Amino acid sequence: MHLTGLDLLFWAAGFGAHLTLLSVLLIRRRFRQFPIFTAFIFTNVLRTIVLYFTESLGTKATYFYTFWLLGILDMLLQISVVYEMYALTFRPLGAWARDTRPAFKWLAMSTVGVAAALTWLAAPHARLWMQVVVIKGNFFSSVLMTELFVGMIALSVKAGLPWKTHVARISQGLGLYSAVDVLVEAGHSYFGVGHGVHIYTTLSQVRMSAYLVCVGYWIVMLWREAPAAREMPERVLGQLNELKSAVDSDLERIRVRK
Amino acid sequence: MVDSRTVIFFVAVAAFLVVMATIAVRSYRRASKSSNRDWEHLLKRLQLVDRGSIAEVALDIIDESGQQRKDEGSATLEPEQIWKLVGGLKGLEVLKANCEVLIDLASYVQQWYPEALVVAEQLRLGAREIEFHVDRLKGAERTGKLKSAFAMYAQPAVGKYYLMTRRLLALYEERNLPMLADLQKAL
Repeated sequence: MHLTGLDLLFWAAGFGAHLTLLSVLLIRRRFRQFPIFTAFIFTNVLRTIVLYFTESLGTKATYFYTFWLLGILDMLLQISVVYEMYALTFRPLGAWARDTRPAFKWLAMSTVGVAAALTWLAAPHARLWMQVVVIKGNFFSSVLMTELFVGMIALSVKAGLPWKTHVARISQGLGLYSAVDVLVEAGHSYFGVGHGVHIYTTLSQVRMSAYLVCVGYWIVMLWREAPAAREMPERVLGQLNELKSAVDSDLERIRVRK
Repeated sequence: MVDSRTVIFFVAVAAFLVVMATIAVRSYRRASKSSNRDWEHLLKRLQLVDRGSIAEVALDIIDESGQQRKDEGSATLEPEQIWKLVGGLKGLEVLKANCEVLIDLASYVQQWYPEALVVAEQLRLGAREIEFHVDRLKGAERTGKLKSAFAMYAQPAVGKYYLMTRRLLALYEERNLPMLADLQKAL
């Protein structure tokens, strides 16, 4: 496989950015709060090293299978990161908030349904069935990720469950990158590989640039500390307790009357 | 030449991204509206209601202390009267909006005062449940079953609102807080 100077630059930049982010996660001890996200970043560092040596020492076929196997692992880890962000937001007391559970079922079904419908509409220009599967698979995952992050924002706001600062930053980065990726993958689908590898590569470089911006954002945001918790004035705590008892007793009445 | 399926595909992708962006922007706006305000500002969002009517509906089934009335003179209001006094669905919307204030208060506390997480989460769940009851009434209205559902849910919901606001006012009065006058106007 022939790699241009730009390809090597993206490769090196991606490796450097992931390594820096991994260092931030370790130095700032964020890995304790985000073990799955840390594993996702660590896997990306490992992936770059493995692919570099496979490309240098292995055959074309070995590189192809290694690339896509690691790509599937990357996708699974991205979905796990989504799970981690959901868990950190919707489990304020260690269990999934009961008012959000029905919405999760609805969200899971609708996100997969919409992603599947859009993917069905895509008709990639490609010579091999494998290329079609890859293009459609990437498009499906980008649509799904975008929906899951937007769904998370909407659901948390509706339920009144605030994001912790670093959860918000990771989610914003991955959500925005996924939205850009939807456009890139739609372009991949339209241009396919029928118009030559050039357009496909250019679009991939756009996607990689967006991802590098996203990793840069994570590095800065995860290095910074979250705003310190405030000390609750006694007055506010008193009001809160009064409100809670009022709502509890009124709810009992509503339940009795039901 | 671009075929019709490709056109449909790109229109669908564009529509998808517009919908996603709209939902995200609207949610962010609402979130920042809550998190950028302080406690007093959140309380100020409680909406104006007709206190006399609310009291009439509420005191038909509960007494001033909040206990359910069991005497012969209780629960005498007909659904039509309740409907009129509450101000119909519009009145219930106000009640729902005030529950949203409670949810925002809980969210605010969770965000800034993690030591009160348990209380705030319980308050949030309670307010969400009340909101759910009001939504059931709205659903019944859409399916044409409002009359039966209204009799069942509206009066207890109004009773709840009445008690909640009375307690809030009492709390402010008791602690001699400067917001009392504003709250009295709003509630």
